[in-house]
Amino acid sequence: MIEAQRVSKLYGRGVYALRELSLRIEKGEFVFLTGPSGAGKSTLLRLLLRQETPTDGRLIVGGRELAKLSGRQVQAYRRSLGFVFQDFKLLQNKTVLENVAFVPRVLGMASSQQQRRTFQVLKWVGLQHRMTSLPMELSGGEQQRIAIARALVNDPVIIIADEPTGNLDPDLSLEIMNLFREINARGTTVLVATHDRELIRRVGRRTVTLNHGSVVEAT
Amino acid sequence: MRALSYFFGEAVQSLLRSRQASVLSVLTIAAGLFVLGFFLMINANLQRIIGGWTDSAELAIYLRDDAGSEQVAALQDVVNRSGLAASVQYSSKEEARRDFARDFPDLASTAAGLERNPFPASFAVRLNASGREASGAVDTMITTINATPGVADVRYDRTWLTRLNATVRVIRGAGLAIIILLAIACAMTVANVVRLAAMARRDEIGIMELVGAPFAYIRGPFIAEGLLQGGLGALLAVAALLGTFAAIRARYAVFMADAVGLTGFAFVPMQIVLLIIVGGMALGCLGGFAVARGVR
Repeated sequence: MIEAQRVSKLYGRGVYALRELSLRIEKGEFVFLTGPSGAGKSTLLRLLLRQETPTDGRLIVGGRELAKLSGRQVQAYRRSLGFVFQDFKLLQNKTVLENVAFVPRVLGMASSQQQRRTFQVLKWVGLQHRMTSLPMELSGGEQQRIAIARALVNDPVIIIADEPTGNLDPDLSLEIMNLFREINARGTTVLVATHDRELIRRVGRRTVTLNHGSVVEAT
Repeated sequence: MRALSYFFGEAVQSLLRSRQASVLSVLTIAAGLFVLGFFLMINANLQRIIGGWTDSAELAIYLRDDAGSEQVAALQDVVNRSGLAASVQYSSKEEARRDFARDFPDLASTAAGLERNPFPASFAVRLNASGREASGAVDTMITTINATPGVADVRYDRTWLTRLNATVRVIRGAGLAIIILLAIACAMTVANVVRLAAMARRDEIGIMELVGAPFAYIRGPFIAEGLLQGGLGALLAVAALLGTFAAIRARYAVFMADAVGLTGFAFVPMQIVLLIIVGGMALGCLGGFAVARGVR
């Protein structure tokens, strides 16, 4: 599903964020990406979201080399992904319903289909009763569940999460991780970057540890 | 259809969200287009005045007091054979004095009291269409007439009309330059207002990019916003133009009819009104497109 072949990412002044990183994630896997700050976790996720391209090496997802995708192909590729960030990235002037429905709306989905999918995912994350609330009226855990609902609304094949529990307490973090486990149980590939070792231990899934831009441990 | 509804829905929301900036932008476009429309309206009416004057421009041939009837007949023959005259009217010395007394009643008694009639006999030649167009042929005819015995003087209104036309052309050129500058200013104002809207929506744009929204969905709302601003500005300009037109006609119609012979001060033609509206929308689009192009 995801294959990194000796991927390097070099920023200005010769600083390597990733150095000859190789990694393989199978379809339907749940993988934690961990390591200290500056290890290269977020850089790898940015490359996977095709926000950036590798300086060297090949990053292949679903058989397609990301660096070679055209503008329209990048759009099509991103439609197969769901993303979740530490800071939720919810639109503060839109209600919960509008935040989740925003994705199918801008993808040109029919109105009836938009509504059906939005209700489904909001029900699934257990927040159907907060549809008319604004993000600022929700707790951190609720906001992250809305962000997960938004990531799921387009039925992605891969979910990419960058420190999704960074702003949450341990109990809420576990709750969010349980949601990811359920998503994974339905066959979606899940890649979660976190530096929370205790959380990884409690969830107990395959872990890839990065340091200085390279894989130093894989379980 | 779904996409258009999305573009315009977002554009309306954005306009309402940044009301003050949007109003400023719409007013700027309206002011620019009003100046354009006003200029075109004045220009159209000026053309009508000059056209009227040109149509009624006459060649006046004044005869010497000692000109004999053969000379008068020969002169009339020269004019008729030129093929440039639509009508030729002879006026004797006595008729000239009567016309003067009719046109200037206060001075009638003075003219009647003179021992000798000072008014010359004359021909008033109204030129036909080819005569009005072919100034070279008219000049040749004037030279011939001047050389004909019995002719004291030849006056042709066309000379000062030509000068007036040249002046109007210069004014029109300067007006056009001002209009182009105003159009650029309008497009830049729209671009800046739409850019502010883009900054306000940068989080949305970021998410749209991440979820793989088509470029049209990312850029469309900005172009629609420019289009709406331009269209609203144009409608406002046309409304202001109509108001100004009504005010001018109500207040100065009599004065213009007396002073310059302009009866029925005209509004700009419907094609120009459509041009102003479409032009406003195009300017707005241009501003919106300038911003949308930078959004990926």
